Amino acid sequence: MNDSPLVTSALFHIGPVAISAAVVVTWALMAGMGVGSWALTRGLSRRPGKAQCLLELLVETLDHQIRDTMQVAPQRYRALIGTLFLFILAANWSALIPGIEPPTAHLETDVVLALIVLAASIGYGVATRGLAGYLRTFAEPSWVMVPLNLVEQLTRTFSLIVRLFGNVMSGVFVLGITLSLAGLLVPIPFMALDMLTGAIQAYIFSVLAMVFLGAAVESPPASLSPEHKES
Amino acid sequence: MTLDWWTLGLQTLNVLVLLWLLSRFLFKPIAAIIAERQRAANRLLDEASAAKDEARKLRDASDQARAGANRQRAAALQAAEVDADQARRLRLQEADAEIARRHRQAQEALHAERQRLQAITEERAGRLALTIAGRLMQRLPESARVEGFIDDLVDGLASLPAETRRSLAQSDAPLRLKAPRALTETERDALQAALRRVLKTPPEPLVIVDPELIAGLELETEHAVVRNSLRADLARLQTEISLHDLEQS
Repeated sequence: MNDSPLVTSALFHIGPVAISAAVVVTWALMAGMGVGSWALTRGLSRRPGKAQCLLELLVETLDHQIRDTMQVAPQRYRALIGTLFLFILAANWSALIPGIEPPTAHLETDVVLALIVLAASIGYGVATRGLAGYLRTFAEPSWVMVPLNLVEQLTRTFSLIVRLFGNVMSGVFVLGITLSLAGLLVPIPFMALDMLTGAIQAYIFSVLAMVFLGAAVESPPASLSPEHKES
Repeated sequence: MTLDWWTLGLQTLNVLVLLWLLSRFLFKPIAAIIAERQRAANRLLDEASAAKDEARKLRDASDQARAGANRQRAAALQAAEVDADQARRLRLQEADAEIARRHRQAQEALHAERQRLQAITEERAGRLALTIAGRLMQRLPESARVEGFIDDLVDGLASLPAETRRSLAQSDAPLRLKAPRALTETERDALQAALRRVLKTPPEPLVIVDPELIAGLELETEHAVVRNSLRADLARLQTEISLHDLEQS
């Protein structure tokens, strides 16, 4: 563990590229999630097993959340929201493995996630409303609100970064202190609390991402897709 | 607090790659299988609905066919009852006719058997009577078996029509005279005299002995027969008795 959680140190270098521990853990998580997804979905059938039922429950719950929060058809945003949730959850829970520091406890990862949400909201907004239409949303309800809306874009992105970073980093910090004081049994409640905090933060980050994306693509109910109407 | 730009860039790339990986290997397959199952369920529901409609149509058609079959069965049953009733009546009529025919045949057979038995009985009675009469006549004198019958024979000839008597008198054929025994000379003369009284010029009689006569004389020609014997009397009596019995039965 680093001496300060606010400092990112290189674990090794590939040429001029400094590879930090967060990147390595992220690669491990990517490998595990990618291979796991491939392994779990290569034998899908109409008569699902327990694992397939669990995966379908996850996807349908995700779709319901997107539909309820964003009021749009979920399939366009399913991959982004789902990836954010699963990655943050896996990253947060990776702290339970001894010697592993979660990538979300480092500012760079949280900045990347928040910037992706910001870019997605801009991209989906422009794709849905058009560039002019998207820009007009900054002048709603009046032109006076343009500066405030611009600041809001930055502040809510910043809030995403700080919320996730602060919670996860503090959990890791507390767990590190506890381990240094009492290494046996005492850290277990803190680890459970860390799991709960990690799950909640993953859920909050995903919900906030949906809220921001929903605000960007907000449209009259008549524009809902047929799938949404049928469901 | 500082940002490591290499880490920032690599994490950006990592998250985007992870986004593609999960989208490609997790969310799309799962969503596809869910959609496929939903389509299959919808298709099954549509097929079930179509099958239900088809079953309802088949049931209606079956009900109609069953109602038609019931009507046909009732009509066929009624027709069969009528036919059976007619056949029963016809069979009864045939049975009645057969019974009547057999009854008639039995009556006829019974009547024929009665007549046959009666004829046998009569024949036996006649024979018995002839036997009795013959035995009785044997107790009488031999002359009584012929002489007493000559006058009656003449009376029989006299009762014949005149034309018949004339043809008898003019006939070239002899008169066949049956007698229970050979006539004596006296009896032959008396008979010739009696015939001459009736026929004037009678031909010579040819006497034929027939013991069956018992007593009496019988004259046979081509044109007439005169029965004048105890056998003829018994036969006539027997016939009258038979007729009387038949009238009573």
